[in-house]
Amino acid sequence: MKGQIISIMLVLAALLVLAAGCAAGKVEEPLVTLESIPEYSGEAYVAINGNEPYFTQAEITDEAYEMYSELDALGRCGVTCASVGPELIPTEDRGDIGSVKPTGWHTVKYDCVDGKYLYNRCHLIGYQLTGENANERNLITGTLYLNIEGMLPFENMVADYVEETGNHVMYRVTPIYEGDDLVARGVLMEGYSVEDEGDGILYCVFAYNVQPGVEIDYATGESWLAGEGTSSGSESSEFTYILNTSSKKFHDSSCSGAADIKESNKEVFTGSREDLIAQGYSPCGRCKP
Amino acid sequence: MVAIVCLDDKNGMCFNGRRQSRDVCLRSCVMDLAKGKRLWMSPYSAEQFAEAEGGQICVSTSFLEEAGPGDYAFVEDRALAPFAEKLEKLVVFRWNRVYPGDQYLDLDLTKGPWRKTEERDFPGKSHERITMEVYTR
Repeated sequence: MKGQIISIMLVLAALLVLAAGCAAGKVEEPLVTLESIPEYSGEAYVAINGNEPYFTQAEITDEAYEMYSELDALGRCGVTCASVGPELIPTEDRGDIGSVKPTGWHTVKYDCVDGKYLYNRCHLIGYQLTGENANERNLITGTLYLNIEGMLPFENMVADYVEETGNHVMYRVTPIYEGDDLVARGVLMEGYSVEDEGDGILYCVFAYNVQPGVEIDYATGESWLAGEGTSSGSESSEFTYILNTSSKKFHDSSCSGAADIKESNKEVFTGSREDLIAQGYSPCGRCKP
Repeated sequence: MVAIVCLDDKNGMCFNGRRQSRDVCLRSCVMDLAKGKRLWMSPYSAEQFAEAEGGQICVSTSFLEEAGPGDYAFVEDRALAPFAEKLEKLVVFRWNRVYPGDQYLDLDLTKGPWRKTEERDFPGKSHERITMEVYTR
């Protein structure tokens, strides 16, 4: 996040109004401004509002549900909200989410990033909580740092609590953009355990969509090494391919060979050719993708 | 006094005044460890031991001051450094996960006088692997 304290007043009310399905009752309109969010200073998240979430009594429910906003006119995700309970916790392993291309997405690598890839397809509500796979309303372009250091700890804490107690947790994640940026500056994460009225889980934090050592143009998702001032990551060409998970061949989406693949062996992959080859796939000899 | 703490991968204990995690299998292990001894804890911790049988649990807001030689103390939301001289042994349960944290263990176990003398893994209910480490002086 560039510059000093972000001075832009971003009213979340509009996003929170979108949470009209967030609970059966009326939805209050808590105002949150980014003025209160300090500049990133080395911590992956910072407490907001004294760690008190903005849920209203009307929104809090012990009936499990999940809600994902419609994408906006720019194709961006909005607020997501759930009452996470044992009913929603998935029992199967996570599936492929590579077919979703969130706004601002770039497949770009840096040596200073663990695992190289700067961006992850970040679940707003983590898979381990509601079992959502390739839901485009639940995936944003987020740095590895946001995903692993900022969001995952809270997902882990809530998942453990639900599994151990059988209780429900009100769980809301709101991506926060500046103007028409395609990449969020971060996410507001709120949690409140319902049955014990916050004794078990209670937090309200902002997690920064930053990556130490890399600077990001949030308007486009372009990035560069800190201090270099120009796009310098190793960007891979990214296309959509059709995979045959049995023969380990990949095809252009228009290849006739792709149409012949049994549905049970067929998968859609969006990403780089190099990544597929690294995963053991080889290009179809007919369409030569 | 033998202190028992639960830590995440960053030596965190609590966030926003609440424990990072819990596991019924870990509580069972704690009860076994302290069998036949007094097991001290705060009223906050005692809530999650409500199902424990027997009279070995002693609850007090000043339990670290009150625990004596040979007693066990289950510590979730207190600083331990002020009581370091009282510690005969430290039992650390590691969740092997990362949670939010704003309160951390305030003892450095990588330096003397602490020495790891035991380590073993066991499965939890909501944790695939919990690691128990025992540190002695």
